[in-house]
Amino acid sequence: MTSVTAPDAAPKRRSRRWNSLDAREARLAWTLISPTALIVFGLVLFPAIFSVWISFHDVGLSNLNDVFHAEFVGLDNYREVINDFAFKPGELPEEWATANLGEKVSIIFTRWNWGAAVTSVVYSFAATALTVLVGLGASLLLNRPFRGRGLARATFLIPYVAPIVSVAFVWRWLLDPRPSGVLNDVLMNLNLIDLPRAYLAERGLALLIVIIFEAWRYFPFAMLMILARLQAIDRSMYEAADVDGATTWQKFWYVTLPELRYVIGAIFLLRLMWTFNKFDDIFLLTGGGFGTKVLPVLTYEFSFRLRDFGKGAATAMILLVILVVFLALYVGVVMKNVEED
Amino acid sequence: MAHASAERLNFIERTARWLTWRRFIFALSLLMFLITILFPFYWMVSSSFKTRAEIGGREPVYVPESLRLEAYEELFDPAHPSYQEFGRNVLNSMIVAIPTALIAVILSTLGAYAIARLRFKGKNFLLNGILMIYLFPGVLLIIPLFAMVARIGTFLGFDVQDNLPVLILTYLAQTLPVALYMLTNYFRTIPSEIEQAGLIDGCSRMQVIWRITLPLAVPALVSVAIYTFMIAWNEFLYALVFLNDHNMFTMPIKINAIYNDPSPRPHVVMAASTIMTLPVVFLFLALERFLAEGLAAGGVKG
Repeated sequence: MTSVTAPDAAPKRRSRRWNSLDAREARLAWTLISPTALIVFGLVLFPAIFSVWISFHDVGLSNLNDVFHAEFVGLDNYREVINDFAFKPGELPEEWATANLGEKVSIIFTRWNWGAAVTSVVYSFAATALTVLVGLGASLLLNRPFRGRGLARATFLIPYVAPIVSVAFVWRWLLDPRPSGVLNDVLMNLNLIDLPRAYLAERGLALLIVIIFEAWRYFPFAMLMILARLQAIDRSMYEAADVDGATTWQKFWYVTLPELRYVIGAIFLLRLMWTFNKFDDIFLLTGGGFGTKVLPVLTYEFSFRLRDFGKGAATAMILLVILVVFLALYVGVVMKNVEED
Repeated sequence: MAHASAERLNFIERTARWLTWRRFIFALSLLMFLITILFPFYWMVSSSFKTRAEIGGREPVYVPESLRLEAYEELFDPAHPSYQEFGRNVLNSMIVAIPTALIAVILSTLGAYAIARLRFKGKNFLLNGILMIYLFPGVLLIIPLFAMVARIGTFLGFDVQDNLPVLILTYLAQTLPVALYMLTNYFRTIPSEIEQAGLIDGCSRMQVIWRITLPLAVPALVSVAIYTFMIAWNEFLYALVFLNDHNMFTMPIKINAIYNDPSPRPHVVMAASTIMTLPVVFLFLALERFLAEGLAAGGVKG
């Protein structure tokens, strides 16, 4: 018996000593991190839970100061949002029945009201795909050594760090609907258009422009991450491909792209979520008009234009549900793959 | 003479030999990228020096005749008939952005050190929780925040609207997660043996942090400071909701107000945008080598 307890007791005593040291370390750790945790959880986590509460209550400007006594309305806010013409897809125009395929495509993109939910999803996927594609192009361009590469790389980052307000307004002004707008002037001089166009005030075209703007502004993020991965690819794989007589295209397709798969997947989902959450860009470019109303802009309009915070919160919750699906994909697919690597 | 022409021929020959198709396409794509990126910024800066006549003409003026300061006078000169008091807005932006950067660096340094170096229960849960929050939409939080802070404000007796410290607090909540993440990663790259040596020599934890770890982490601290500064400097949505009084406007909100003025004055908008943009771009370019890495880590959530 003693031979069993004796080796048992020694580690226990040691572990208690370690415990006290551990405990001291843990106390220090919590002291150090508590201000950050307090601010972040207090101003993010608590409001997030509170926002669920608001979405089930009738909260307007009149009872904002007495918000805890707001009337419980169940799912009314959700029902109203889902049936709102700005949220759900609208009716197809009458010509739809008789239109041929080309006309149907044109009706879908230029005349049909998609509603904020569909617009949000289409816009986020298209903008993210274009952003990643442009980022990939830019990173391949900067991956080869040339004189002035450092400067070029720095320049490529400028759209990403410049304030959104200034770049959005410069773009709006470049796209000015008057003949004095730069894009109108250039296209008219090239005889590509006869009359000036209002690029941000045409259904379909406005969404396309906003998507291009997103790619212009956010490609540097994708570029930097892809560039880092590109430079980590083992040179010997290309040498082996050279020995086998592979063309540049084959090397890209069979060596580079497989190596980039996970980083591109990670960027895609990260950017997808950020784009999905994004309010400023569309609000500043189009104000959410002409087929560009996305869920964040709708949330803002319900809350701060109509002052119906309950409906606003309900819209935000719907946005969050879609986001959680993206997030689950992110954790399930990307993180898993990264760990396996 | 013969020598010179031979030399020129030599040059053309060399250029021709250098200029393969692949190089040509490469140079062309690089040029396209650079023009697309830089033209909007050229347009912003050059337009800020145009006069109202040049702005309102039938055709765009690609190069302003001379550097007219009309737009800047409207922003800064009290004698101008529609003086915008923009100096006030520049100051407000600084009042918001500088404390945000400083406080974020201090708090995230402490937190990141704890996560990178100390063992405690719930660490991963805490870190993941804070990082998850980074993916939360800003519009989701602004409604409850607005209601909550209003309630707390009436309770404690201060105004929520037009209150710059409240704005700083919300910016901290937005910037702390990423600051924490960046600094944690950086602290992990500093070998802990250096600190062990300090501890053995009889320094306390705080002395170790202050004398050993922090001096080694200066590049990371600088880049976190610049990122958080940039986020606060550029922020639009929260400032739009929380600020009503023109005297309290930060630059982005003021520019939005000038843009939406019934009489459009793009040159003034561009001048104000230039003043807001140039400092961050130059700051970034000057320190690009430190900063690019942090950018890839998600330094600017965008």
